Amino acid sequence: MSEKLQTLIIEDEELARNLLRSYLKDQPDIEVIGECENGFDGVKTINEKKPDLVFLDIQMPKITGFEMIELLDFKPKIIFTTAYDQYALKAFELNAIDYLLKPFSKERMIAAIEKVKQRIQNNEDIDEKLEELTNFRPGEEFIDRVVVKDRHKINIITVDQIRYIESLDDYVMIYTHDGRHMKQKTMKFFETNLDPKNFIRIHRSYIVQVDNIAEIQQYEKESYIVILKDKDKTKLKVSKTGYKKIKEILHF
Amino acid sequence: MRHPLTENYRLFIFYALFWTVIGIINFVLLVLWYNVPFSYSLLDTSTTYILYPLLGSSIWYSIRYNSLEEVSILRLILFHLTAASILCGIWVYISYAIYKPFIGHDTNYLTNSLPSKVFLGYIMYIIFLVFFYAVNYYQSLKEKIKKESEYKTLIREAELQALKSQINPHFLFNSLNSISSLTVSNPEKAQEMVINLSTFMRYSLMHNEKEMVPFSREFENIKLYLSIEKVRFGKKLNAEFEIDTHCLDAEIPNMILQPLFENAIKYGVYETTEQVTIKTTCQCEGNVLEITIVNDFDSNSMKRKGEGIGLRNIRKRMEIIYNQPDLMKITDHKTSFEVQLIIPQKPTLS
Repeated sequence: MSEKLQTLIIEDEELARNLLRSYLKDQPDIEVIGECENGFDGVKTINEKKPDLVFLDIQMPKITGFEMIELLDFKPKIIFTTAYDQYALKAFELNAIDYLLKPFSKERMIAAIEKVKQRIQNNEDIDEKLEELTNFRPGEEFIDRVVVKDRHKINIITVDQIRYIESLDDYVMIYTHDGRHMKQKTMKFFETNLDPKNFIRIHRSYIVQVDNIAEIQQYEKESYIVILKDKDKTKLKVSKTGYKKIKEILHF
Repeated sequence: MRHPLTENYRLFIFYALFWTVIGIINFVLLVLWYNVPFSYSLLDTSTTYILYPLLGSSIWYSIRYNSLEEVSILRLILFHLTAASILCGIWVYISYAIYKPFIGHDTNYLTNSLPSKVFLGYIMYIIFLVFFYAVNYYQSLKEKIKKESEYKTLIREAELQALKSQINPHFLFNSLNSISSLTVSNPEKAQEMVINLSTFMRYSLMHNEKEMVPFSREFENIKLYLSIEKVRFGKKLNAEFEIDTHCLDAEIPNMILQPLFENAIKYGVYETTEQVTIKTTCQCEGNVLEITIVNDFDSNSMKRKGEGIGLRNIRKRMEIIYNQPDLMKITDHKTSFEVQLIIPQKPTLS
C-alpha cells in the first residue's frame, strides 16, 4: 500500500485521545485527519471526510458508537475501543470483530491496524457484520431510544414519543408526535426490541403504541382497522393475528 | 442430653431450696400440729422431699424424649403412666427399706400408709412432669430466640454486603486508561492519580470492616473520587459543595455517597457534551444529617427510568441500617435530578 490510511479518532475523553494520537504519531501507514469528541460530530465528519479507518469509542455522550454506525452513509473500517462493557464484548465475539480494551498497549494497537490493512488488501467487506452488531441487544432489555438522521440533523427519539412504525421495504418510517423519521432497520428488529406491553405488531406493515389506539372498528367481515388518537384520526389495517394480540393486551 | 439441673446451677439451687423449704414445713407441721413422733416425721419428710426429688429428677429424660408436639396423646398418657408406676414402685420400695430398721415391729404403719404413699407418688410425678415441661419449654424458647436473632444478624450482614457498592469496573478501567495516557504526557500527574486511585480503592475496601464512619471521612473520599473523575472529564465536570462544618462529625454509613455521585456522573456528565454541575449541600438539623446532591442532565438524550439498581440499593441499605423507610428522596426536576439522604444521628449528650 503506497498511500497512508486516512484515520479519524472518535473518543470523548481528552486523555484517551491524547494517548491514541501519541501512539499513532510514528506509524508510517497512518495519517490522523481529525478527532471528534462525540458521536454527533463523528457521524458528520465520517460522512464528509470519508476516512479509511476510524478508532471508535463505544460509550460516548448523546449517542453511542453502535448507534453512530446506524447513521453512517459511508462505512469506513472501524477499530472499536472500550474500557468495560460486557455486552459490547459479547457482540464483538459473536461477530468476530476486532476491538481494543482500554488501557491497551501500542503493540496491541499495531496488531489491530495490521488486521485492518489485510482486510483492505483482501477486499473484505464487513458491512454486514457491522449491521449485525447494531442489531445486537443484550439480555432481556428493551430499547429505550432510537437514533435517526433527517437530512443533516441527528435526532434522538425516546420510545415514549413513538406513535407507530410503518414498514417501507428496507426501511421503516417512525411516526412521532412531531413528525416522521426514516430509519434503516427491519420491522422484526422493532417487534423484538420494543416492550410488547407498549407496542403491538398489528399488521405485517405496522407496529402501534398501545396508548395511541383510540378505537378498533370492524371494517369488513373478519377484518378490522384501528383508529389512532391524532388530529387526522389515522386508520391502520389490522391483520387476524394482530387483532388477537390487541385483544390480549387490551383485554376485551 | 444434658440435664438442666446439672447444666443450670441457679436452677439446681432453686430446686434444692424449694424442696428443702417444703420439707421443713412438712416436718414442723407433722411434729407440732399432728403430734407425729419425731422419728416418723423425719422418715416421712426425708423420703418424700429428699428421696423423691432425687429420683424425680430423672423425669426430665422422660419428657425430653416425648415432646408434646411429636407424640400422640394416647402414647403420651400410656408412657407417663408406666413411667410414674415404675418410679412410684422404686420410690416406695426404697422408702420402706429405709423405714424398716427404724420401725421394725410396726408393720401396721407400713400397710396403712401404703395407699396414701402410692397416691402421693403419682401426684408428685405430675408436679415434676409439669415442672420439667415448663423448664423444657422455656429452654427451647430461649434457644429458638437466640437462633433466630443469630440468623437475622446473618441475613442482615449478608444483605448489607450485597448492597454495598462495588467499584464500577467501567470507572476503574477508564481511570487506568487516563493514567496510561498521563504517563506519556504528564508523569507527575499520572503518579498523583495512581495515588488518588489507590487511596480511594483502599477506602472502599475498608467498608467490609466498619459500618459507620464520620462524615468528614466519607466526604474526603467523595472529593477524591471526584478528583479522579475530573481528570477524565476535565471541565465537563464541575463539583460544588456547600457543607455546614458542624456536620463533619456526624456519623454516616460508609460508601453510601459514592454511588450517588457515580449515578450523577453516569446520567449527568456522561450523557452530555456540555458542562454539568454536581452540587452537594449538607445540613444538620436536630438529630438528622441532610445531604442533597443535585445534578443537571440532558433530558433529550434519555428517558430516566426511575430508580436504577444503584439508587435502589442505597434505599434498601438505609432501610436495613436505620430500620426506617423513606430516608432517601428522589426528585426529577426535568433538567436536573435531586437525591436527598436523611441520615438519623444518635442523640448527643449536651
